[in-house]
Amino acid sequence: MEWSIVKNQLVSFLEQMMEKEKYTSKNVLATITILYSLLLISIGFISTVLNVYIGDELLRILLLVMSLLLLVQCIVSFLKSKIRIRLVSMIIFTILLLLSSYYLPTLPPSYDLRSYEMSAALLKFLIVSLFLIIIGILSVNYSFKFLYDFGRKSKQYAAYFILFLSVILVLYPLFIIVSTIIMNGAPGITWDFLTEDVSRHGAEGGIVKNLIGTISLIIGVAAFSLPLGIGAAVYLTEYAKGGIIVRIIRIAVDILQGIPSIVFGLFAYALLVSIFGFCLLNGILVLTFLTLPIIIRTSEEAILSVPKSIREGSYALGASKWQTIKRIVLPPALPGIITGGVLGLGRAAGETAPILFLGAVFIGAPAVPDLFAPFQALPYHLLQLIYYIGAYEVEQNAWATAFLLLSIVLGLNAIAIILREKFRVEF
Amino acid sequence: MLLKRTIKEDLIKLFFFILAAVSIFIVFFVIYFLFSEALPAFQEYGFSIFEAEWSVPREVYKIGAALFGTAIVTIGAMIIAIPLGLVVAIFLSEIAPFHVRTVLKPVIELLAGIPSIVYGFLGATILVQYLQPTFDLLKGISLFAGSLILGIMALPIIISISDDALKAVPRDLKEASLALGATKWETIKKITFPTAISGVSAAIIMGMGRAIGETMAVSLVVGNIMQIPVPPFDIFESGSTLTSIIALEMGEATGIQTYSLFACGVILFIIVGTMSVVSNILKERVEKKYKGG
Repeated sequence: MEWSIVKNQLVSFLEQMMEKEKYTSKNVLATITILYSLLLISIGFISTVLNVYIGDELLRILLLVMSLLLLVQCIVSFLKSKIRIRLVSMIIFTILLLLSSYYLPTLPPSYDLRSYEMSAALLKFLIVSLFLIIIGILSVNYSFKFLYDFGRKSKQYAAYFILFLSVILVLYPLFIIVSTIIMNGAPGITWDFLTEDVSRHGAEGGIVKNLIGTISLIIGVAAFSLPLGIGAAVYLTEYAKGGIIVRIIRIAVDILQGIPSIVFGLFAYALLVSIFGFCLLNGILVLTFLTLPIIIRTSEEAILSVPKSIREGSYALGASKWQTIKRIVLPPALPGIITGGVLGLGRAAGETAPILFLGAVFIGAPAVPDLFAPFQALPYHLLQLIYYIGAYEVEQNAWATAFLLLSIVLGLNAIAIILREKFRVEF
Repeated sequence: MLLKRTIKEDLIKLFFFILAAVSIFIVFFVIYFLFSEALPAFQEYGFSIFEAEWSVPREVYKIGAALFGTAIVTIGAMIIAIPLGLVVAIFLSEIAPFHVRTVLKPVIELLAGIPSIVYGFLGATILVQYLQPTFDLLKGISLFAGSLILGIMALPIIISISDDALKAVPRDLKEASLALGATKWETIKKITFPTAISGVSAAIIMGMGRAIGETMAVSLVVGNIMQIPVPPFDIFESGSTLTSIIALEMGEATGIQTYSLFACGVILFIIVGTMSVVSNILKERVEKKYKGG
């Protein structure tokens, strides 16, 4: 976003704030209540995350202030409103809140669910923080009602508020995942880590062979799945005229897309291992099956986005079907196809479950990748390190491996998304 | 010359057809080898394979407990992921300003690509350590942890596909509603969302399929004990899922145990494969509906 836009928005926001009629007592009261509810929600959220209890006195004061604010709102709208029946639920809520400000701090420190044969207990801090969050949301709801005179508009703003909170709630764990991996893993990426082989159960040494293994998997999968997938997409979009076989192919692609990766692992164990033994080729083949449906689907979409008219133009000039596909259809569809391909490869690079039983090893793969020898791969290495945590000092290397894996996979995905945005062809 | 050209064209067509038919062969092979390897287990136990008894010393391998674990974990994950996912999808497609959308949408797509082993790593280190004091557990490893992590993993899929479905709702429907004096929220609730419902269900089924078929993240946090918790609703006990038991025991399995593990695979294949086909049919139907009208 450009600075000038930000500045303009800021200025207009300030101007709006300075307008006189914004400062009616009603607006101020509602705004204060909403901000205060936000404070309650964030206190509830933070104490859930950090496992702390805010203390009896503080809790009592917080709830008391909240109920006083709501009480004032009740009184104001009671005096002004014509339809007082709508106030009933708000008044009841305020009274309940007042009561809770007395009773909630007196709860015992933990409710043991073990008397109900559950192996857990509900601790006071959890009850209190969830209570605070719910109270906060309801209070915001009532404040909007108060602000918009209990009209239909109030519902909209309350709903928007809840939507907004949920977005934050969803982004929070995702943010935590990425940030912890980066913070713990990035310091472990050293030259030695990148250039040495695994030693002492992964507690020392590096991951060079795993990196090579993962890269050779990616290259191998690309070599198989790109031609197969693009070819299938060309057939489905350009040649197929419907009919039973096309229907079957589409259903097969749907099923293929749905097969869980561990089931592919089982299948490879039953078929491929008995043919090729434990080796890199199995991994490449299984991951090819896994990425094929993704590549077929995205390539189909890309090819379909090329309009019919330019194909007909080509036919009118006397070009054959194949010439048209080669010279007219595929070039503009290429960015879309590559995007799909890179997305598929990103998925293949991170998969662990399918390669569990067919040739991935923790240590001892040949230095130069060999199609018919066992291989080391980053995701499998990470899995083994997780098993070793506690037994050996592998935690630092595990974080670094996770960081490396995450950067490869997210890097591939980011490349795909950027390609898509940059080369989006509009007809 | 012309004849030569037609032969060449036909050969090229045949070539592409073979490439397209490879998918059929793969599916056929998967079905054949899965079922043939699982058959001995079904022959041995019949329908009693769905009972919960899995014991290596007694050499009894019935997969009921894993089926139960998968069901519980998936239900838990969906309770978390469906409401949150739909709400965020509504926010993205209907309310978010253009700038927010252009940032948020790729970020969520990017997150759909995080490998499951990374989720599992964080689950086994951070989440489990967090749950232990929060619910005063003996150890944080539990079916509940599995639900949480699967819920988080299913979110990006549900968000991204339902967002597409909501975006596909024609503008004129929404504008008609707004013109009649409905607020934006009323329009979303009564027009946009009900219209997009089949696309949204496709998204939910897709997310559910991913949750059921997910292996690494779950196997690292559920504890992998083949048991049904004593009151069955006790989600704070350790358990096992169809996927985790395969990942854990396939390496050293022999004899009937292998066949039972393949039986787990067959059940997974049937459930998730059906879900994938259904959700794709729903999605195609939506596309046709709006392209035609």
